[in-house]
Amino acid sequence: MHDGVAAYVLGVLDEDEHEAFERHLDTCERCQAELIELVELPEQLDELKNAPSASDDDPPMSMSR
Amino acid sequence: MCPVLGHLDGRFESADAEAEHRIAVLYQEFGGPLLRHVRKSTGNDLQWAEDVVQETIVRAWRNSARLQWEPSLIWAWLLTVARRIVIDGRRRKSVRPQEVEPPEVDMMAVPDGSERALSAMIVADALRSLSEEHREVIEQTYLRDRTINEAAEILGIPPGTVKSRLYYGIRALRELLRDKGVAG
Repeated sequence: MHDGVAAYVLGVLDEDEHEAFERHLDTCERCQAELIELVELPEQLDELKNAPSASDDDPPMSMSR
Repeated sequence: MCPVLGHLDGRFESADAEAEHRIAVLYQEFGGPLLRHVRKSTGNDLQWAEDVVQETIVRAWRNSARLQWEPSLIWAWLLTVARRIVIDGRRRKSVRPQEVEPPEVDMMAVPDGSERALSAMIVADALRSLSEEHREVIEQTYLRDRTINEAAEILGIPPGTVKSRLYYGIRALRELLRDKGVAG
């Protein structure tokens, strides 16, 4: 269950799993601490999404190479 | 009016008033900072961002037990709730015809071009230095607006594996960005 914290903070869980993880978070201090640590990461990844080079024909990462 | 009913009405009114007061306090405390963060992910669409903040505040009010948490955890939770609302909204929008919101809008509305390009480069570098397995799941989920289950299908690996790789990949990325002095 604990490894769900990354998927939770990124918002990539299905709705039922998202809600289940939130209930887990209510009682899990380890995940609470990790949520605080990871909460800025999505915005940092957004920099990549919003950057002018981050279009579909020119992905900034190595996938298409 | 029957005194008993009058009494009950009074109690309902004060419960409503208390709810309104609590929501107003939440707005005062978190509304401004939340709006600044949410606007970044709505491509500066202010109306959308305001709707997202409103929904986030209402959810916080409905889950008021979580408001007993320490402030940094409340804030992390609120940001996550708001991000999820934006992502759900974007998913709904993406099934509508393209002319509703041309994809260029997001990119044209980005302020501070050079500064953001620099942070984008740092994040891209960090992502590149992850293992292939870790980078792949970050790309196939968050960066492409896909859920764990959708990415699992595309990658042909179990959802539990995607979730676990995402966890270790995100932790590694966080460490890399912290070393580069990007993470706060």
